[in-house]
Amino acid sequence: MKRPKRTTPVMAVTEAELAAMTDGLDQLHNDVGMPAMRSAVERWSSESRTTRRGFLIGAGVAAAGVAVAACSSSSGTSNTTTTGSGTTKALLTGDLAVAALAASLENLAVTAYGDVLTAASAGKLGAVPPAVATFVTTVRAQHVQHAQAWNAAITGAGHPAVTGPDKTLVPVVDKAFAKVTDVSGAAQLALMLEDIAAATYQSAVSAVKATSSIRVAASIQPVEMQHAAILHFVLGQYPVPDAFSPLAGARPLTDYTG
Amino acid sequence: MERPDHPDARGGVDPAPDPDPDELNELLVESRDLHRDAMVTTTGALDDLVELGQDRRSVDGIEPDAPPAADGAGHGASSRVITFGGGLLAAAGIAAALDAVTAGPAFASSPDVRMLQTAASIEVLAVATYKTALTLPFIGGSAANPVVKAFATTTMQQHQEHLDAFNAAVTRLGGTAQTDPDPVLAKVVQAAVPGLTSPVPVVALALELEQGAAETYVADVAALSDAESKKVTASIMGVEAQHVSVLLAVQALLAAGDPQLVTLSPTDVAGLPAAAGSVGFPNAFFPTDMARDPGEGALS
Repeated sequence: MKRPKRTTPVMAVTEAELAAMTDGLDQLHNDVGMPAMRSAVERWSSESRTTRRGFLIGAGVAAAGVAVAACSSSSGTSNTTTTGSGTTKALLTGDLAVAALAASLENLAVTAYGDVLTAASAGKLGAVPPAVATFVTTVRAQHVQHAQAWNAAITGAGHPAVTGPDKTLVPVVDKAFAKVTDVSGAAQLALMLEDIAAATYQSAVSAVKATSSIRVAASIQPVEMQHAAILHFVLGQYPVPDAFSPLAGARPLTDYTG
Repeated sequence: MERPDHPDARGGVDPAPDPDPDELNELLVESRDLHRDAMVTTTGALDDLVELGQDRRSVDGIEPDAPPAADGAGHGASSRVITFGGGLLAAAGIAAALDAVTAGPAFASSPDVRMLQTAASIEVLAVATYKTALTLPFIGGSAANPVVKAFATTTMQQHQEHLDAFNAAVTRLGGTAQTDPDPVLAKVVQAAVPGLTSPVPVVALALELEQGAAETYVADVAALSDAESKKVTASIMGVEAQHVSVLLAVQALLAAGDPQLVTLSPTDVAGLPAAAGSVGFPNAFFPTDMARDPGEGALS
């Protein structure tokens, strides 16, 4: 089987050409990266629907130990339970619970980068370099796509999308953001979120059961790592500090299950 | 020169005519020697790394439970082998496949071992390539940009650690450590060596290797059935992706005629062109269409 050949992009000289190249890379993303992810999500959703009907056990059955303890799951993919806040809601289990946690992390990142853009527009961060503005805008858009990918697996299995942020992290991020007064502070906050997301997805690769679920997590983790590399660069730090990406900071499923 | 006829061979580097592989071959031999030395001293450290990962997992992140289900990673490994390996299980027959699971010598050439050996072969080549690059005055000499030199040096060391980690996983599974480079990619590198006359083609070559490595490992984590090997691979794939990001950014600045902006000074960020803010991560989802064949660098 012949695979399509893809050439490494070469940057042009002028700013306009640089922007055009970036547009070209966006097209490359649409042509190359997205179809594989969509295929994995569609298969994941299909497997989850099958599991929900009880014909296939495995893909959606309480993959994570925390979820097992919190939900006392049967072979289904959702459970009704009482959360720590006293409200009753249906909790997803297995790979879909991981997807829910991931979606909540992406939602948090989208909100945080949005807040940075708002603060920058209001002049609260001082002078914002053009490259940093582009970074924030582009990264936020990619996190939107990541949230959509995770939620596609959830909604494809017949469950409502996760639209809120990781509630455990919200107060932490709010407290940190209140102290942000410049681009460096914003970059440090963003780096924390990217590190958390990357570690969580790296953890998810080993926690989820279905191959399609692994593919989705594995296709996003390196991108969060790339975001982190550029943030290190912005902060004047070496962009690839570790030979092996750490798991420290990965969020547990209790962030989702309460 | 015709590019190797392989589904994964990429066209990112212009092939050069009549390559002289002597220098690279010499470095590959040196790399293997370096690897053997390193393996002696780092085996314990790698064991610690695995244990550290296990310890961290008990505190941080999502806790895995039972072994993979019937549709889990093992299935992925089988399907990928069938896709890229020409129907290995089908050709061997059910009896032979069962033998592959239960017998030691056969397990030593299992799909997992072959994937890990291929990963090791990619790392062997990466170490040798960065070592070659560092012999060039504009990469590792007095004329080099300090950040580029530091990146090449550190990245070579990180690839050596990756090589050791993959080979540790291979030997743990009963396989033989791979100390030779990926044979298909090695031809690409050999063809490129004569053209490495400035930083631009060096960066392009490194980018090609890093992208291929990262994509291979992203594909591998969905195909590996051994849990520990999956963890090790997952901890490396994102690092290679970060190498890609740095190289994309450096490539952009070199092509734009702004090599002075290749620094680690926060104050110089203000001088970067706007588009430089997104050039390092062109895909929202990391692709795998350029992943290397899982058995490409495996020992026969």
